[in-house]
Amino acid sequence: MNTVTLGHGSGGRQSHELVEMLLEGFRKRSIGPELEDAALLPGGYAMTVDGFTVSPRKFPGGDIGHLCVCGCANDLAVRGASPDFLGIGLIIEEGFPSGELAEYMESAAATCESLGMTLAAGDTKVVPSGAVDGVYFSGSAFGRVHTVHPLSMSNIREGDSLIVSTSIGRHGAAIAAARFNLSVDGLESDCAALWPLIKPLLSFEGLRCMRDCTRGGLGTVLCEWAESTNLHISLDEASLPVDDRVRSLCDVLGFDPLYMACEGCIVLAVSADSARGILDTLRNSPFCADAAIIGTVTRGEPRGMVSMRTSIGGERLVDMPFGELLPRIC
Amino acid sequence: MLSNVAAASEALKTLVAAPISVMEVCGTHTVSIFRTGLRSLLPQSLRLVSGPGCPVCVTDQGEIDCALSLLETGAIVAAYGDMFRVPGKSGSLASKRSAGFDARLVTSASDVLAIAENEPRNEVVFLAVGFETTAPATAALVLEASERNIANLSILSFHKRTPPALKALSADPALAISGFLLPGHVCVILGHEPFRFLAEQHGIPAVIAGFDPEQIMLGLVAIALQKKQGEATLRSVYGQAVRPEGNTKARELMESVFISKDASWRGLGILPDSGLVLREEFTRFDAEKRFGLSRLPGESPAGCRCGEVLTGRITPTECPLFRTACTPVSPVGPCMVSGEGTCGAYFRYHRTNGGKQ
Repeated sequence: MNTVTLGHGSGGRQSHELVEMLLEGFRKRSIGPELEDAALLPGGYAMTVDGFTVSPRKFPGGDIGHLCVCGCANDLAVRGASPDFLGIGLIIEEGFPSGELAEYMESAAATCESLGMTLAAGDTKVVPSGAVDGVYFSGSAFGRVHTVHPLSMSNIREGDSLIVSTSIGRHGAAIAAARFNLSVDGLESDCAALWPLIKPLLSFEGLRCMRDCTRGGLGTVLCEWAESTNLHISLDEASLPVDDRVRSLCDVLGFDPLYMACEGCIVLAVSADSARGILDTLRNSPFCADAAIIGTVTRGEPRGMVSMRTSIGGERLVDMPFGELLPRIC
Repeated sequence: MLSNVAAASEALKTLVAAPISVMEVCGTHTVSIFRTGLRSLLPQSLRLVSGPGCPVCVTDQGEIDCALSLLETGAIVAAYGDMFRVPGKSGSLASKRSAGFDARLVTSASDVLAIAENEPRNEVVFLAVGFETTAPATAALVLEASERNIANLSILSFHKRTPPALKALSADPALAISGFLLPGHVCVILGHEPFRFLAEQHGIPAVIAGFDPEQIMLGLVAIALQKKQGEATLRSVYGQAVRPEGNTKARELMESVFISKDASWRGLGILPDSGLVLREEFTRFDAEKRFGLSRLPGESPAGCRCGEVLTGRITPTECPLFRTACTPVSPVGPCMVSGEGTCGAYFRYHRTNGGKQ
């Protein structure tokens, strides 16, 4: 890697390459972090950092302020931590309308309120026109861990079931629709704070780990799980919940819903005997009527990879995406 | 759909006794075949060969270099997404964009008009790539720009025609293609006529099919049936969508703006009348003339066998660069880059040895 490209920001294999490069200095001193959504700290706390540069800043289903709080809170929640405290940093381009900024902060505050999350720290920087595109948010969240054993992908075992909490790819599809001027009636980002639905799941002993399927989508998370455990993941396409609007948008642009970002969807690895109970609990939670068991973890081949039984009964691989998602020609 | 696909899969097992090779001409078919895992439902005796129907892949190396050189003039170069990562001699549109050049991603030809109007002081060039499915949209763009007298817009036409490529392939005895699966959307525009020669002159069954797995399976069954009965005709399983006369309006639109000319295809060389260039009355929109560009047939990167992949001579795994020097992150040839490229599809969806990148 000589220079950083947009591909390095896409969440797929190139993002890993970038992170590996960035962590080199830390790894040399063996203080490198594990690669999960949030870090578990001594004393039963968790923390995370996330940046938000979404364009457009307002999209069907949310805006950058709401997204910032949801993104940070969800990173904690999937590691079993309550979203207790939040820090927000703003990088603002000179000339940015203050009214619009106030709107985003209002929406961030409303989301915090719904979660019982406290804004504890903040920072603002204003940069010359052209140095950033409008406004960028960065957030950091801190909270108490509510599980006895840490939730981590290293808990995943052969025979585990995989569950998604809702239909996939809606955030990525809504943003792509806005960016490419395609109007799809009723297509909205799934952007939502997930702690209220995650909390009741933490009492299940069979809960191994969770991830929110943000950048890179469900496909990327599962590829990471398969690679890091060196187990095989077998998906069943027919049981994968995909909204028709997401599917048609993806058809038009040549995208695969598996790699479209979600902001309100988690994937869970759970022991086979707890799968039913967890699924039922999820389905009774807000936003989760479409929750489904979508696959299993096996010792099958190829090891360290994800395959999918397609809805017509065929087999194919699911690989990590490469580079930025580019719409195709025809 | 599932039961039809399963029934077709069973039928193929009994129909295809002696080995046959069917070429799916279009990249959209290729990707659908891989994404649905359809190959795993076919009998071993039925070999699917991917054809030259990915527009990015057949774009000649010299054409890519020509497009990259345009960026150096300071022009805004607008292109469809697939074109962005195709490597030329001096990088790709994506790497040039990272280096500060102005390459813009568009999803339709009409986006280009908006860019040109919003930035009247900049030259805007559209890299017009694609077959008969996208050429009408480029034609509409040129007509609109002409009517509205947009002075800062031009196009670099790499548009290509499908029939001449099929002519070259069906005349090649080394390929031994037993049947062609033809792309439904191209035939919606062109109709049946331009493809009849496949059966009538070369005795090769040709079936027009849509892109979902059921359509593809039906198409394969229709080809296998013809082979078994010793027939060769042009058929369509795409139903009402393809009229034998095609879409006259779209064709007239295309013909009012473009004229056919010899063009260089990666892997196939120069094919007579296979490219579309602007008619004389639209010369002012011709980027090649406006910028004095020369489109020299380019040399493929050393060791790259995209040309042979595109013509079905080898499968991607037979190329020594595949998955070693050539990967989606650092592609050597366009077949690895494009979302519809055969090598990219093999890389993403097809691996038997459990090997990782």
